Amino acid sequence: MQKEWGLKMTNRLRKMEDPKTRHRRHEAMEAVKILDSLKNDFKDNLESMSYFYDLYEKIYCKGEKLHFDKPTVGTMCIQVPYEIIYAADAVPVRLCNGFYTDEQLGGEFMPTKSCSLVKATLGMLSNKDIPAAQKLDLVIHPTTCDQKTKAISMIEDMGYEMYHLEFPRVKESEESREYWRRTIRKFTKDLQKELGVKINRKKVKESIKKVGKAQKIYHDLNELRKLKPSPILGKDMFLITNAFFFDDIEKWTEAVKRVYKEVKEKAKAKYNPAGKRSPRILYTGSPPIFPNLKLPMMIELADGIIVADESCSANRLLNDMVSVDEWFMYDMVDSIADRYLKGCTCPIFTQNEDRKRRLKELIIDYEVEGVVYQSFAGCQVYEMEQRSIAKEMESLGIPMLYVESDYSPAQGGQLSTRIEAFIESLKVRRRKKR
Amino acid sequence: MNCFAGIDIGSTAIKIVIINEELEILGSKIAGSGSMFYKYAKENLELLLKEVDLKKENLKYIVSTGYGRKLFKEADETISEITANAIGARYAGKEFGTIRTIINLGGQDSKAISLDEEGNVVNFAMNDRCAAGTGKFLDVAAAKLEIGVEELGEYHFKSRGTPLPINSTCAVFAESEIISLLGNEHKVEDIVTGIHYSIAKRIIRLAKKVGLNDVIYFDGGPALNKGLVEAIEFELGRRLAIPKNPQITTALGAAILAKEAYEEL
Repeated sequence: MQKEWGLKMTNRLRKMEDPKTRHRRHEAMEAVKILDSLKNDFKDNLESMSYFYDLYEKIYCKGEKLHFDKPTVGTMCIQVPYEIIYAADAVPVRLCNGFYTDEQLGGEFMPTKSCSLVKATLGMLSNKDIPAAQKLDLVIHPTTCDQKTKAISMIEDMGYEMYHLEFPRVKESEESREYWRRTIRKFTKDLQKELGVKINRKKVKESIKKVGKAQKIYHDLNELRKLKPSPILGKDMFLITNAFFFDDIEKWTEAVKRVYKEVKEKAKAKYNPAGKRSPRILYTGSPPIFPNLKLPMMIELADGIIVADESCSANRLLNDMVSVDEWFMYDMVDSIADRYLKGCTCPIFTQNEDRKRRLKELIIDYEVEGVVYQSFAGCQVYEMEQRSIAKEMESLGIPMLYVESDYSPAQGGQLSTRIEAFIESLKVRRRKKR
Repeated sequence: MNCFAGIDIGSTAIKIVIINEELEILGSKIAGSGSMFYKYAKENLELLLKEVDLKKENLKYIVSTGYGRKLFKEADETISEITANAIGARYAGKEFGTIRTIINLGGQDSKAISLDEEGNVVNFAMNDRCAAGTGKFLDVAAAKLEIGVEELGEYHFKSRGTPLPINSTCAVFAESEIISLLGNEHKVEDIVTGIHYSIAKRIIRLAKKVGLNDVIYFDGGPALNKGLVEAIEFELGRRLAIPKNPQITTALGAAILAKEAYEEL
């Protein structure tokens, strides 16, 4: 009897999945669910968006490998200069993660109260089979928020090679500018050593142009959202910008060109993917990263339309371009440094007048009627800044809904009630204005 | 005769109101939502129609609201409970003056809504998913104290001591606080007042976020609990406006909206 039971147990254990495969399977299940909803829960989807749907399916559902022919550099925040990485003939892959599966995994060794994004990123990195972690030659970490800064040693312990990019917390002063420029100059030198390549003037110039082209077409597409009605849904824009995290930049640029063409064509006939009376929403705060697009999707399923966004996984990522006066090596590197500091509207800065200014601009330019501000539970900087932004919005007469959330799918009922009520109140406001 | 129905499918109870074109309430019904929201809502709507002696054909438009609003397929329209609550409160509370602030305690959530002069929702706040300070919390507490939830009010006024502080912000932790108070031989009535004051403090903090203006209206099932009402009024330093039937205001709001939507067609 005893023996038989033992035999049965071994058979069962043999059949059991190893934790890494299970992790991959759970990620794939999550991705499939969101992709299905992105494709099917909205009326007439853009044809050109299928490139992006397929891309996410390939990477997250089928687990296809990323850029195996080139050295791959992981980046932890948007302040890592992509131009320098491309100039080193390497490919940048942003590691910020949006999977609930990974958040749960990260929760096993991270403090309960830490931010979902940081937890999920570490959870993902703890399994080197995950596409984004499969082949990282180097991980670059700008010293931005405290949680990421403290997480670095943990990532190092997992066996990744880290590079620290010292980032100042005040951006208005000349000292910080000089400090950051020096950081980037040193980084340019160090990256060559780390990857065993040579970065020269020609390569930097080329890569500035390559990233600039991507930004240009993104700006053009973003510009179309100013139209009334706005011809593209926010959920598609988030997918596009999220793909910039890991896709081949040239393929990405081409795909966005196709979306731009289709949207422009459709806009001529006053194409409206949202409802007749959908309020125009500005999204800001903690970044929605695939597949955690629950809040943007909820807004648009509740008959709102996101016409503008200010987050590091979307608009902020591609906002400013490098502007160069003289095409000499040091001029270019310094200009690149400036782009990543001066244009950055991250809430980690001591003062954040620039973010308020940017929000104000977006509200006016995109004729925004309401703001949805998300903060991940545990992300102190966004939680704290919420108050000052809310005040600012009040003075502008723009209603703002503040939502604290995490990656948990269980929050659905209550959150959607709040979103719906917010959208309903915006509709009444509009009717009254007329 | 044309009539309109509002159905509020909440986490604990289903509330149905049928009104006529003059906005008079023809009938209302409150039933437990149980596990089959949709089935119970449908059954109770049919029962109510029978009670008020109306046929299905008389019902011109139905608006559903509450957590289960989307599950009720017979509804012509759905609306969030915040908007419905605002419309219902404004109408039901006419006698108290212009209502600008609503406090609502439901089975699973607590809300504060602020309205403008015309009764439109300007701002609102809701508890973030946890059930502290909601109707559910009162249920849990009453069960632990082995009294009925409707007896809580009575016990509140029996208390002669100072209310015992309940500090936990989580319903589950608060339950263990209650257990330890019982363990220290405190009287049930003193614990009850403590519970009421702790809920009152929480809901006032929420209401302050949206701003306290003019008449403050209080509805939802827990508004029937006179002890809780006293605690909120005491903490607030002001009187609350409470309708005769505070449980059905949101359903009434949905019914009024049904009538308006039907006329706009």
